[in-house]
Amino acid sequence: MAEAGRSHTSLRLTPPPAAPPARTPARRPMRDNPWLVMLGIGALVALLAGTMTLANRSNRLAPDFLSEFVLYALSVVDLTMLVALVFVLARSVIKLLVEQRRALPFARFRAKLVTVLLAMTLVPAVLVLLVGSELIRNNVDRWFTAQMDETLESAQRIASDYYRDRQRQVSDESAHVARLLAAIDLGQADVRPVRDVVAPAVNDQRAGLIEVYRMPRGHEPVGTLVAVVDVASPSLPAGAIRGSSDRLAMRAAADQPDIWLREPLESGGELIRAASAVRRPDGSVSGVVVASVHLTGDMAVRARRMTKAYESYTQLRVLRQPLTGVYLSFFLMVTLMILVAATWMGLYLAKRITRPVQALAVAAREIGAGHFEHRVERETADEFGSLVDAFNSMADELATNRRRLDRSTVDLEQKHAEVEGRRRFTEAILERVATGVVTIDGSGFITTINPAAIRLLGLGASVVGQAAAVVFNEPDLQPLAVIAQPRGVGAADPPAQELSLTREGRDVALAVASTRLHGEDGVADGRVLVVDDITPLIRAQKVAAWREVARRLAHEIKNPLTPIQLCAQRLQRQFSTAPDQVKALVDECTTTIVGEVESLKTLVDEFSQFAQMPAPRRESTDVHDLLKHILVLYDGLFERVRVDTLFALDVPRVRLDPDQIRRVIINLVDNAIEAINQQGQVVLETHHVPGTNLVRLVVADDGPGIAPADREKLFMPYYSTKKRGSGLGLAIVRRIVAEHGGTIEVAENQPKGTRFTIELPCEPDGAGIAGIA
Amino acid sequence: MIPGRLMAFVLALAAVQGADAERSIEVSAVARGGRVYVSCAFAASTLDELGEAIHAGLATSITYDVELRRPVWWFDRTLASSSVVASVRHDTLTGRYQLTREIDGRNDDTQVTDDQDAVRKYLTTFAKLPLFTASDLEANVEYVVRLQVRTRPRVRWFVWPWEPSAATGSARFTYIP
Repeated sequence: MAEAGRSHTSLRLTPPPAAPPARTPARRPMRDNPWLVMLGIGALVALLAGTMTLANRSNRLAPDFLSEFVLYALSVVDLTMLVALVFVLARSVIKLLVEQRRALPFARFRAKLVTVLLAMTLVPAVLVLLVGSELIRNNVDRWFTAQMDETLESAQRIASDYYRDRQRQVSDESAHVARLLAAIDLGQADVRPVRDVVAPAVNDQRAGLIEVYRMPRGHEPVGTLVAVVDVASPSLPAGAIRGSSDRLAMRAAADQPDIWLREPLESGGELIRAASAVRRPDGSVSGVVVASVHLTGDMAVRARRMTKAYESYTQLRVLRQPLTGVYLSFFLMVTLMILVAATWMGLYLAKRITRPVQALAVAAREIGAGHFEHRVERETADEFGSLVDAFNSMADELATNRRRLDRSTVDLEQKHAEVEGRRRFTEAILERVATGVVTIDGSGFITTINPAAIRLLGLGASVVGQAAAVVFNEPDLQPLAVIAQPRGVGAADPPAQELSLTREGRDVALAVASTRLHGEDGVADGRVLVVDDITPLIRAQKVAAWREVARRLAHEIKNPLTPIQLCAQRLQRQFSTAPDQVKALVDECTTTIVGEVESLKTLVDEFSQFAQMPAPRRESTDVHDLLKHILVLYDGLFERVRVDTLFALDVPRVRLDPDQIRRVIINLVDNAIEAINQQGQVVLETHHVPGTNLVRLVVADDGPGIAPADREKLFMPYYSTKKRGSGLGLAIVRRIVAEHGGTIEVAENQPKGTRFTIELPCEPDGAGIAGIA
Repeated sequence: MIPGRLMAFVLALAAVQGADAERSIEVSAVARGGRVYVSCAFAASTLDELGEAIHAGLATSITYDVELRRPVWWFDRTLASSSVVASVRHDTLTGRYQLTREIDGRNDDTQVTDDQDAVRKYLTTFAKLPLFTASDLEANVEYVVRLQVRTRPRVRWFVWPWEPSAATGSARFTYIP
């Protein structure tokens, strides 16, 4: 407490937090969207199911369809997924690198997590892809064997040879019949010769059906053939299409090559038909023979099956590479789907794990930077969500405490400002007040002392911090030490005491009071000494007392003087007729009596005048003019006295009573001339003291001077250093000066002599400047 | 130095392959009677790869994408385009080939034969097909007929789904009405 009292306590206040800087928009919070997740999983499962279904049904699809459309679609899907996978991976890698370069929190942890998750997915997936691809290629190679090649090729050749034999047979038969009909006129009405030629071939089972056409005659339409006769075997099933034989006949008539065809029947069998032109001896075509053989349904179906099996096998072998590609693409697509899903899931999990922690780290930095309103949005309902809730609660409490602290800081600042203002106010009062104030802490050390106390007690400012007992150890200050010493609890404050000190050659009367200081807990915490300069009061009391004495003396003495004087004059008149000796004696005595009575009257008048000094009639006066008029009175009066003036330039006018101040100056100058024994120098000086707004008049002489002990007594009534005089001159001077609100002091003149200094208050507005001429 | 040499090697290889592709097909074009007739002779060796597919009964086709262009500075402006598709289907049972030619989706010709040479010729050549009209051509201006060949089916595994051209060729002619 003592240390705190001896030094100024400065309270360091934490400045209010600066406004938070503009921050980048917060990232979109990551939320679990169950519907989106379920939709993604559903799409993935559907894609996988579709892929598996397509793969299962791939054996039912045509090889060329597989190798063209399916492989094309799979390649596009694979490339797309590969690009997507590369994009996702590249994006993730770039983001991780950027995060690491920016030294974001948990960037390395996230990179490691993503790397491990991807490695756990990529390595087995790639291994399975490689092994599976090799298995597919081996299995495809095992489809084709030399045995199977020979078997299917032989079967196909058997069927093909059978077909070609039958085709050759029917072609030969049609050509044979055509040659036989060359000698017959096909246009005759009787067709029996034609039937006779045709029938044996049918009957002998060389053909199942023979149809004969002739060229049109003149009235028949050109470009058509006319059916002449057809002979069919009874075993031939009904439903043979006439149109195909007509077209075939037309091609034969036109002498076109490749005049045979194979025509399936509704009954399940097939007809192999061949046509040959009937030519006349001149080579012209007279008709056409179309021969057909019937292949039973079973035979045709078996032949077709053998051919179909061979074609399918051959097509598989031809399209082996594309088909292998189809199954590899299936496998690759599933692998890529797994990789994409796993990669996405890995990245999602890594983000799900690290993002809340990152958000918490960022939020911790923000709050550490003073942004107490920063919060972390809860994204999940798991343990991370609970952690985020706890963090936000902590941030709330921090923000609340910070707000309370801010409010307390503001209140404290206000109170500090009030205390500081009060302290400055008190200091200003203590600086200006004429009362001296000294504070002493509970340990007996002086904590403060104001200028008035320094001046009155004749101390220095360095006494602050020193023990009061040491400072007041001076002989004339010891009473202060007594009243300043600590007292017991409950002891009453000592009564005020009066001190008489000599400061700067004059006696000073001080009244000292000591008051105990109490702390907030009521415990005594030092003392405060209040020192008042009561010298003017004592002077006034003395003057008042002397005035009362003078008034009573004047009253008591003046009353009997007149009867005494009248009696003396009466005696003088009564003895005017007495003998000369008596008369002379009486005259002498009465004259002495009257004279002394006059002297007493004069003395009583001065007393009366001192007691009943009239109030000054103040008017604005140029001090210099006043002094000049006064000095005129002394021109040439004392030959060996030199009166000098030192007038300042900036002396303002003073409101004073010129007659009374004239009396003051004349009294002081007369005293000075008398002090120098009418031989020496008297100096009149004027000064202006702007700080106190006083005009200072000085009357100095170079006489023998006055002893310091007698200086204060000079202004006491009935005190005089002169052989004759009432001793009221300087008392009246002091009173006149005091009536004008001023002071008069006497001091030693340098290098010798006496120096009377009068300080009078100048006009408040400082109007006018005293003239100097 | 190594990247420079590697780039030169790649460019040279591409130039050689481009030259082979240009030499594997002969294209000629002539404008007569208001029509532009295009003839093409495709290297028969190309069919060696498709032979197995043809004899396996697969529908095999060769598509000729023909474009009529007018050279404008470094670029050619396409004036018209046409597509000629020659396809064959082999009947394994009878040993006969059914040949079909379509021009812009329209059936132009159908043949049945058992002659393999005829099939090879039918698929790899066509002569003087009137593919474009000459009414919009400017007189005494040089035009280019550019031709790309695509084959079906693809008998090799492909990673890149978009089919490259089997061969390309071009012919220039000056239209003189």
